[in-house]
Amino acid sequence: MRPVIDMKGIHRIFESEAGLAHVLHNIDFTVDPGEFVAIIGPSGSGKSTLMNILGCLDTPTSGTYHLCGLNVSDLTDDELAEVRALQIGFVFQSFNLLPRMSVLENVMLPLAYTDCPRTERERRAVSALYSVALAVDHYDHRVNELSGGQMQRVAIARALVNDPPIILADEPTGNLDSHTGAMVMQTFHRLQEAGKTIVLITHDAGVAAEADRTVTIRDGRLYRNAPRSPRRRTLDPDRVPSIGGLRTGGAAL
Amino acid sequence: MSFRDLIREALRSLESNRGRSLLTILGIVIGISAVIAMTSLIGGIRNSLVESLGLNAARAVQISCAYQMKPDDVDDLARLMPEYEAIEGSAFGYTQIKNGQQTIDVSITGANSTFFQMTGALRLAEGRLFTTQEESSASRVVVLDRSGVKALFGREDITAVGKTVRIGSSDYLVVGVDERMPNTGSGGNSTYITVYMPLETVLKDFSGGYAYLTQVVGIAREGVDVDALMETTKKQVAKVMSIPDDQIDDNVYVYSMKSTIDSMTGFMNSFSLIMGAVAGISLLVGGIGIMNMMLTNVTERIREIGVRRALGATRRDITLQFLMESAVVCVAGGIIGTVLGYLLSWGLAFAASTFGLLSSMGMSTGDGTTSTLAPLVSVEAIAAAVGLSIGIGLLFGWYPARRAAKLDPVECLRSL
Repeated sequence: MRPVIDMKGIHRIFESEAGLAHVLHNIDFTVDPGEFVAIIGPSGSGKSTLMNILGCLDTPTSGTYHLCGLNVSDLTDDELAEVRALQIGFVFQSFNLLPRMSVLENVMLPLAYTDCPRTERERRAVSALYSVALAVDHYDHRVNELSGGQMQRVAIARALVNDPPIILADEPTGNLDSHTGAMVMQTFHRLQEAGKTIVLITHDAGVAAEADRTVTIRDGRLYRNAPRSPRRRTLDPDRVPSIGGLRTGGAAL
Repeated sequence: MSFRDLIREALRSLESNRGRSLLTILGIVIGISAVIAMTSLIGGIRNSLVESLGLNAARAVQISCAYQMKPDDVDDLARLMPEYEAIEGSAFGYTQIKNGQQTIDVSITGANSTFFQMTGALRLAEGRLFTTQEESSASRVVVLDRSGVKALFGREDITAVGKTVRIGSSDYLVVGVDERMPNTGSGGNSTYITVYMPLETVLKDFSGGYAYLTQVVGIAREGVDVDALMETTKKQVAKVMSIPDDQIDDNVYVYSMKSTIDSMTGFMNSFSLIMGAVAGISLLVGGIGIMNMMLTNVTERIREIGVRRALGATRRDITLQFLMESAVVCVAGGIIGTVLGYLLSWGLAFAASTFGLLSSMGMSTGDGTTSTLAPLVSVEAIAAAVGLSIGIGLLFGWYPARRAAKLDPVECLRSL
């Protein structure tokens, strides 16, 4: 099986007035389709830089990176934007929802950068919001009227709306309480069951333990590549509390 | 992103910063309204000045000769000069009318209908001009103006056409009334009026035996070079009046309205340029306001730019999004500014008419009535204003939009 993410000998060096900062050292990293991988590391270890390269927001100084068979180094800026639009769904720690838009409009936003007509955008956004079990009466709300958990579910719906094969989540539970964080992780498991490849960045070992495989990064080096382990479920669906009248455990995914 | 999406995004963004957007729009409104008000007002003034000179003013040539010209001389000149559509002479007469204690001084202009049509000296409110038969038979017919009607009949709103008035020693049938109400001079028991009669009638009844013309006017055919025609006219007048070549310049004077209009147009163009520059500066200030607003928007929305780029927006998408915002501000300012500028020009025109500014500018009709000033707003001017505002939006929005597009998405997402 060809990996969806295939990095070989990746280095990332930043130049600044203070000098050179060698942030990533000779990273080799592969992710198979449908895999749920957690990248764990302390603050300043280079995991966000790795995430930016994985998400085609940044390019490596050297090394090769193939994403879904595409050599990212060969792509133009516009082609990288297209890859981000169609192949990758981003979930950020601070949600990064646009406050002046409604929930539905936020979820529709990635489709605005494709040829998708507006009626189809609405249909797909509603479907994505349904899949993360956000109550329908919240669709027209401004995002700042939502709780943290609801905002993260909207962000996940936005990441899903283009039906990308890969979800990149950067500390998705970092701003959530443990209860809500657990529900978000439950959503990721359901996405994996639906066939998505998930790469999750965290500094929380408990959250990382939810993944099939963990990769530890420290001082810019891929320090330990833990062997594949059977997926653990820490949450019993019957114990998942309801949010907005809907049980996340009962979501479509 | 589709055009509709861009418009929607732009409106949403402007709405979320309503106060800032309105103030920026105000800058453009002031600039555009200044441009529209100035150009329409100057256009209106130019039209009024041309109108005050009479119809066909640009093609009119006035001929005067130290040797007294008679109607036959004018006929000869017309035969010699086919470049003229018509050449007509007018004569002047004077008499007094006693009306009880009142003395009315009557200035009489004698000319045929063609002369009045050429010069636009008469604008009939009632009745008609003279017929060819009346002109050739020196019929006793007269056209009065409203002041004449008031002086001769006691009221200006009376129907004078069909009535007879006694001027000098004869009765004259009123065939027409001019719509204007010139300022009649009056002093003590005297009133001054002007009446209009056929040329032959004036020569017969009021010339006192000196049947010469006081004014000769020609109208050049369309397309004829008036400057060249003036030179030719001098020579032909000299030929008709048997003036030696070396005395032509001393005895024949040919004057064209075109030169007056040209110098007036030149002055108005210079005036337009100065006023346009002043208005343009205010528009420039408005444009700088746009740039300032857009740069602030970009700075405030750096994280949004990063999110959009992460979600698949290209640099072009970001550029278009911010350009559309500045264009929407400018179009809104352009539309409001055009309407406001138009209203402003009407207001200024009304004020100028009310406070007599036009008279002081020499904008009066030949008989002393004050012209009304109608601002000239053309479709082209409106299109130019809206086009200009879009241009300003794109020009001043380009730099902030490109700056937004060039931002590194990673840096954007990292910003607070």
